[in-house]
Amino acid sequence: MSTTTGLGQSPYSVQVGVPAAVLKAKKVRRRLDLTLWEKLYVAEIVRGLVITSKHFFINMLGFIFPPAGKKRKVFTVYYPEEKLTLPSAYRGRPVLVAHADGSEKCVACGLCEKMCPAHAISIVAAEKAPGERYPARYTLDLGRCVYCGYCEEVCPKEAIVMSDEYQGLAQGDRNLLRFQKEQLLRPEGKVKTRLYFVRRIYSKWNY
Amino acid sequence: MLADLIESLAKIVFIFTVNVGVFAPILGWVERKQSAVMQDRIGANRADILGFTAIGLFHSLADAVKLLTKEDFVPANANKFFHTLAPFIALVPAISAFAIIPFGGRYELFGREINLVIADLDVGILYVFALAGLATYGTVLAGWSSRSNWSLLGGLRASAQMLSYEVAMGLSIIGIIIVYGSLRLTDIGAAQENFFRWGIFLQPVGFIIYMTCAIAENKRIPFDIPEAESELVAGYFTEYSGMKFVMFWMAEFLEMVTISAIVTTLFFGAWHIPFVTDAMLLSWFSGFAGPNGAAALAMAVNIAVFFAKVSFFIWLQMTIRWTLPRFRYDQVMRMCWKMLLPLSLINLSITGLVVLLL
Ligand code: SF4
Ligand code: SF4
Repeated sequence: MSTTTGLGQSPYSVQVGVPAAVLKAKKVRRRLDLTLWEKLYVAEIVRGLVITSKHFFINMLGFIFPPAGKKRKVFTVYYPEEKLTLPSAYRGRPVLVAHADGSEKCVACGLCEKMCPAHAISIVAAEKAPGERYPARYTLDLGRCVYCGYCEEVCPKEAIVMSDEYQGLAQGDRNLLRFQKEQLLRPEGKVKTRLYFVRRIYSKWNY
Repeated sequence: MLADLIESLAKIVFIFTVNVGVFAPILGWVERKQSAVMQDRIGANRADILGFTAIGLFHSLADAVKLLTKEDFVPANANKFFHTLAPFIALVPAISAFAIIPFGGRYELFGREINLVIADLDVGILYVFALAGLATYGTVLAGWSSRSNWSLLGGLRASAQMLSYEVAMGLSIIGIIIVYGSLRLTDIGAAQENFFRWGIFLQPVGFIIYMTCAIAENKRIPFDIPEAESELVAGYFTEYSGMKFVMFWMAEFLEMVTISAIVTTLFFGAWHIPFVTDAMLLSWFSGFAGPNGAAALAMAVNIAVFFAKVSFFIWLQMTIRWTLPRFRYDQVMRMCWKMLLPLSLINLSITGLVVLLL
């Protein structure tokens, strides 16, 4: 479905916010009463009009002669035709991660089921071989899920992660929102950046 | 007699088509699109016919279809008669104010003198003010008859605001009347043939006061406290739907056109191009088109120039609407009574003094 997350993200180098050296204090005018010139309104209104009409004319120019090759100034995304590349911190639909052979990583430990604040997960565990558990049924009710990400945080096997999928989450029928294991399995490559991200933010595996 | 009738009918049909058929629907689109362009957005662009979106123009069409097919809802306990009457009272003055606005000069065509104005009234501009006064009733009645708190508050605010601003608006125009010595808009238009006698040079303060009051009369931002979406839902027309809603909406846009037309006529040289007189136009065109053709061409140029100026002022009003925040109610009142009214009185007395001394 969604194929927008780039895989080229480097996993560890991240910079949050503006470096302190670059920050500059902004001068704020504390005096709240207007000067006489401002009270006359006219000049100030003209100043405002100049700003807005500058935007108007620049954008009109852009609409009439779209700059070739350059990124457009308007931030609006034409949604169904264009999609955003979502950051790996985005919590979309929780999905199950599959091994290379297509079987699920989940060992049906039941931690996510217990942790889920919305009781969205229900697992029926079974054994493949003696001592090797797997979920015979893994049901995720996306009508209940609140996208908190606790399941992902608690999972000891990196078997459930929040993906960047956000489409198909509105349905006319609640039953369609009850996702089964087969619908939730994704190959590991698809959720790789999220896996890196999870390791970093929760630091639970000491990689 | 018959020719007179045909001439008037032709002019009425022309103005009606331009206003109701072109300006009203297009302005709905312009308002959306211009606000989008000013705010670095894209604006309406989804409605399409067979894949053609025509830069969002079909949204007006879709709006029309939607609003015409919508249920016409009258709230329980509302006064049905006045509830129905109010949109008409709001819309009719907005359309009929255009009757006295000259959109071109006076020309000789096939031996008939054609004056490009529907009704050349000698009370001229007073007629516009009378109609603007009537339009207040539409708003107040709408607010009162809806039986809704929001509407009533909107109607109350509208009555206070519109009555106050009418005073300052009337006084701001008297300066122009003194300068040109006539109430007749065709005279005022003809007097501005000379570029340096345009109203904006003779009455700059009058222009600012008139523009402010006119926007306030039209209840548009920054003076939209009667509708104030964030406070009163939609103010005086909260309880309107379907066709009656369209009538209020159209009245607002047509009033905008009328304001622009009056500003053009009074302050910006009416149908004149700077430094070009009607006689010059006639002499240029008669070289290749003969006297009748020249008159027709000159008329076309006049009309085009007039509506170009009108379009500019519509753009200006839209820009003001999407630039300024709404005034608070007490600020609106203070601005009218403590600033605009004294200012227009001062402007009036100075103008009178200067005209008397010259
Ligand atoms: S994201 Fe939260 S609510 Fe959704 S399944 Fe996981 S734990 Fe439950
Ligand atoms: S916590 Fe992980 S391993 Fe345990 S049941 Fe949930 S998905 Fe499976």
